[in-house]
Amino acid sequence: MAAGGGRYFCTAGRGLEPFLAREVRARLGATEVDRVSGKVFFSTEAEPGELRKLKSGERLFLLLKKHTPIPVSRNKGKVLHEIKSLVIEEPKYWLDVISIWRNLHGCGGQKDNVSQENPSPLKRKSEEANIATKRQKMEQVRGTMSEECQAEGGERCVVPERKSDQDCWTESKTSLEDPSKSSGEEPIANEQLSFSFRVSCRCSGAIAKILTSQEIGRAVGIALMKQCGWRADLRDADLEIFIHLNDIHSVVGIPLFRLPLANREYIKTAGLRSTIAWAMASLAEISAGAFVLDPMCGLGTILLEAAKEWPEACYWGADISDSQLEGADVNIRTAGLMDKIELLKASVKALPLPSESFDAVISDIPFGKKFKITKDIQLLPDILQEMERVLRVGGTIVLLLSQDLHKCMDGITKHAENDSPNAISDGASETTTAKALNVDGNSSSLVNGIEESFLSSRQTRFGSLVPDGVYEVSLGKTDAFIYKYRKISSAGNQ
Amino acid sequence: MKLLTHNLLSSHVRGLRPGGGFPLQIQASEVRVRPVPFNAAFVARLVPRLRWAALLEAAESLGHPSELPPEPAADYEGDESFLRRVHHILLEVEVLEGVLQCPDSGRRFPISRGIPNMLLSEEEA
Repeated sequence: MAAGGGRYFCTAGRGLEPFLAREVRARLGATEVDRVSGKVFFSTEAEPGELRKLKSGERLFLLLKKHTPIPVSRNKGKVLHEIKSLVIEEPKYWLDVISIWRNLHGCGGQKDNVSQENPSPLKRKSEEANIATKRQKMEQVRGTMSEECQAEGGERCVVPERKSDQDCWTESKTSLEDPSKSSGEEPIANEQLSFSFRVSCRCSGAIAKILTSQEIGRAVGIALMKQCGWRADLRDADLEIFIHLNDIHSVVGIPLFRLPLANREYIKTAGLRSTIAWAMASLAEISAGAFVLDPMCGLGTILLEAAKEWPEACYWGADISDSQLEGADVNIRTAGLMDKIELLKASVKALPLPSESFDAVISDIPFGKKFKITKDIQLLPDILQEMERVLRVGGTIVLLLSQDLHKCMDGITKHAENDSPNAISDGASETTTAKALNVDGNSSSLVNGIEESFLSSRQTRFGSLVPDGVYEVSLGKTDAFIYKYRKISSAGNQ
Repeated sequence: MKLLTHNLLSSHVRGLRPGGGFPLQIQASEVRVRPVPFNAAFVARLVPRLRWAALLEAAESLGHPSELPPEPAADYEGDESFLRRVHHILLEVEVLEGVLQCPDSGRRFPISRGIPNMLLSEEEA
């Protein structure tokens, strides 16, 4: 690894890879950016402090190896052998890796045991402790795992396998004890000489049909123990080794941070996933001095992400629910953003705000999850109408719509487009269209604006809102769609 | 509720004459002053977006006369003491408890724990 920088890879929720690729370039001056499904590889000289600030990624790893996919055959033993030769190296290799990792973190010598010549074999005492806390750890790991699973929706989720991975792991350690005893090695009592590790494997595609993550993790772990003499520690390993195997590549890395990047220490109670909230805010083009509104702010996640990243703007959040507003208030205080974000109790259908006073309106539209779909279709035009009203010309609207609403959206906008201006069945829509097509502030001319629809990746125009992109993102179990609109004047000029 | 927010808030009770819902009259029972770091460029950007008369009126009604001129001077951007006074009245004075009253309809909107409740009932909207 070059003295001046490193090569990393960062996992991303499906759909967020382009945002992450853009972010590493902008925030870290990253080069050699390589984007694949679920991951972005990049090189940078940035310090861990800067790396920690990445907002659209899930977990960040130091890249150790990246190879072509493991050749897959029916012969499990052969495949495992291939995997092991990918990962297993001389102990010196790992010591170098660890010292690089430690340098990155500026760690001192708290566990300065790594450079010992004779790393100790398994220690019985720590294992018992491990077995006892195995249950505890599994809860923790499952928690992390489900986040990771959400993140990598494109790959097969391995939560159940992970659990038994742990089981297998502990068993394998116990069984290894005897061989080491019989070989004449005795556990060295000296705490300092121990070094602990943990292997985490994720696989999908062809290789997952032959082997499970659990089998691979176990095989690699045992081999590493034999090779380097380390002990496995599920609770608090010094070193975690991650192996990702799929049809695109074989990747080995070590995580830079214990917690996923998506865990924000400044958010007390998360609503929307922080990575998606940040991605939405990044689309809104928030410039210095901007007025930004989230008219259905819930716990305020979008506003928090936006205000943290773009503090030179003013933010307002509105919601009809007292409990949500309370939660948002706590979040804002926890994040220290009271100077930036103000809250209102108000309805998005009747915003107590002047027309054309905001530069950006960003919102996660919560419908489609709680309410019946038929009701949503009626509400959406009203909501869009108010959002459009308070937005200044040239401003942007960024919305997150569930899959169901995404389907409705076409219906709503096509509906407005196909019917003649005066004959729209839904009364609300009629007013919407009339107002939205204002020319010079008068509602007199209902122009052909509706018929002039801009069809761009399933988006059609809504009044003076022109579509400016749709992005499909994974929310874990379901998908959602980020819609961006820009308000233009009816004459078509910006 | 800061006065910056108050400068935007208007009543949307149905049937108001145009502009009749602004500015809302403040009756504050609890006001707090909290320091906020001053950023001259940031405040200068806010000035052109403000409804100036409403701001002065609001400041007076809170018992925080702003010592601000009836209109921003032409060279306000370079006038730091002016910007500091704007900064103070706009961002450092908060109404924690009180009422906002619609000038036309008389409808009262409560402010509780700094958050104004602007929800209208079905009939009013």
